[in-house]
Parts: sequence; structure tokens; C-alpha cells
Amino acid sequence: MTKTDRAGTEEGLLAPWFDAARDAEPLPDGDWMARMEALALAEQPSARPVPETRAAARRGGWRDILGGLGGWPAMAGLAAACAAGVWIGVAAPEGSMSTLLPVSAGDGVSGLEPASGFDYVMAGL
Amino acid sequence: MPYDAMSDRSDEDLLTAYAAGEPAAARALTLRLAPRAFAQAMRMLRDRAEAEDVAQEALVRLWRAAPGWRTGEAQVTTWLYRVVSNLCIDRIRRRRGGTVDIAAVDEPPDPAPGVERAMLDDARADALETALEALPERQKQAVVLRHLEGLSNPEIAAIMDIGVRAVESLTARGRKALEGLLAGKRAELGYDED
Repeated sequence: MTKTDRAGTEEGLLAPWFDAARDAEPLPDGDWMARMEALALAEQPSARPVPETRAAARRGGWRDILGGLGGWPAMAGLAAACAAGVWIGVAAPEGSMSTLLPVSAGDGVSGLEPASGFDYVMAGL
Repeated sequence: MPYDAMSDRSDEDLLTAYAAGEPAAARALTLRLAPRAFAQAMRMLRDRAEAEDVAQEALVRLWRAAPGWRTGEAQVTTWLYRVVSNLCIDRIRRRRGGTVDIAAVDEPPDPAPGVERAMLDDARADALETALEALPERQKQAVVLRHLEGLSNPEIAAIMDIGVRAVESLTARGRKALEGLLAGKRAELGYDED
């Protein structure tokens, strides 16, 4: 540590006394220094790559959900089904539905089913 | 400029690295700061065991403050000097029941040729440090930081949490008191021959 020039001019008659005291700077012993280093390491927080850990945790959560649904192919199928449902519900013209359901509302349930419930029972199905 | 393995890095930078878990930063900071904390405590307390305790306590506080350290707010050394000073003052207050007698400084021994000067210097340093003990604690703190640790008045003002003018006043009164206390020792310790 350097003494500023101005401090030197302030010292006047005391300068030789301060010089002697500065020269006799107290030094710590080696054992104490070793203990201080060990203490510094013991008190030190462990390495903490915080942003990476949080991002990895977020990615892990989405991966789990995706895996549960069957992976990316399942997600693609789900998305296509969703889009088709929206299209049918919102945008499909009335005529196009007849190609999917070739019956009229007046046909009732028998219009949809080629065989009756009784036929199924008799056939043992 | 600190002279250690990481001398290109500032104290503050190293403290940030310390908080991030870099072991080399812990070692470099210890090497850099522990001797300073110890020397300051030793000069204030004149007792090795107490100085070691105080310096250790100050360093532990620094390590614990590291994770919440706000960059640019305070210099690491200023912060450490302040903690050491306050811990020393606490101890001085506790022990101040005793009296300090400048006349009780050991007489310089009859020196052997060749080591005379060194022994005389030791005796002078000892006399000054004994005289410092007789000063009021704030004066002593200011004089030690200014004349033995070599800090500037603004640095001392930050450490002692007072204005620069107050530091100048404390050091001036401290020096005047020291001159009075040491006047009787001048001839004895060879200063009239310098």
C-alpha cells in the first residue's frame, strides 16, 4: 500500500515515527493464512449456472407431456384432427355434410343403421 | 495494483466470481485481503490473537455478503476496512478499563553493533503504537488508516461514515496528541540524532 504524498507532508515531526511503524508492518503467519483460505472455500457458494438449470427444467416438463401423448407424430395427428373439427364446425358448407352423412334428419335412427337392434341380438352380437 | 495470480482482476470482479463459486477467486481474494485485514486489526489492537479473530470475523462477513454484493456501490477494501475498524473499536471499548502508559514502553536495549538501527526502529514503532493506544478511538482509527495504512481522506471518510473535513480534524488532533505523547521519547529513541 502506498502512502499518499500529502499524508507525508502532514506528518511533520512524526514522520520518522510513522516510517518506523510502517516498516514494521504486522504480517499474519502461514497457518492463519491457510485457515483463512480454507474458510473462504468453505463459505463459498457452490457453482450455480442458474439460467441453464431453469431452462432445462422447463424443457423437461414439456418433454414429459409430449411423451405422454405419443411424441411428435401423435401431436401432428392431434393438430390435424383439431383443425378438421374446427373447419367442419365453422366453415363447412351444408352440402358437403351430405357426402359424409347421406341421410336426412327425418330418417331417424333406422335410417343410420342398416340392421335393427333386434337383428343384432338375434345374431348374438 | 494487487500482486497475485489474478492481479489483472479487480477486487469487485473477484468477489463476483467468488459468489459464482470460482475457487481460484476465493484463494486470490484471501491472499489479497487477509493480510490487510490482519495488519489493520493488529495496529488497532496490538494483540495477535485478537487481531486474527477480528480479521477472520471480517472476512467471514465479506464471504457471506458476496452473493448479495451490489456492483459499484462500495469498494471491497473500503467495506472491509470499515468492518475491521468497527470490530476493533468494539474490542477497544470492552477493554478500555485499563490504562495506557506511554512511559511503560520498554527502554531500547543496549544494541549489538550492526543490528542497532533495526532494534531502534522496532522500539520506535513500538513507542508509536503504544502512544496510539492512548488516543480516543476515532482519532486512533483515523490516524492508523491515514498514516499507517496510507489511505486518502475521502477513503477514510467512506470507511468511518463521516465527512472529509471531519477526517482531517481527527487526524490533525491525533497527530498533535501523538507529538505530545512522544515528545519525551525523542532523545531516548535517538531522534535527536537523526
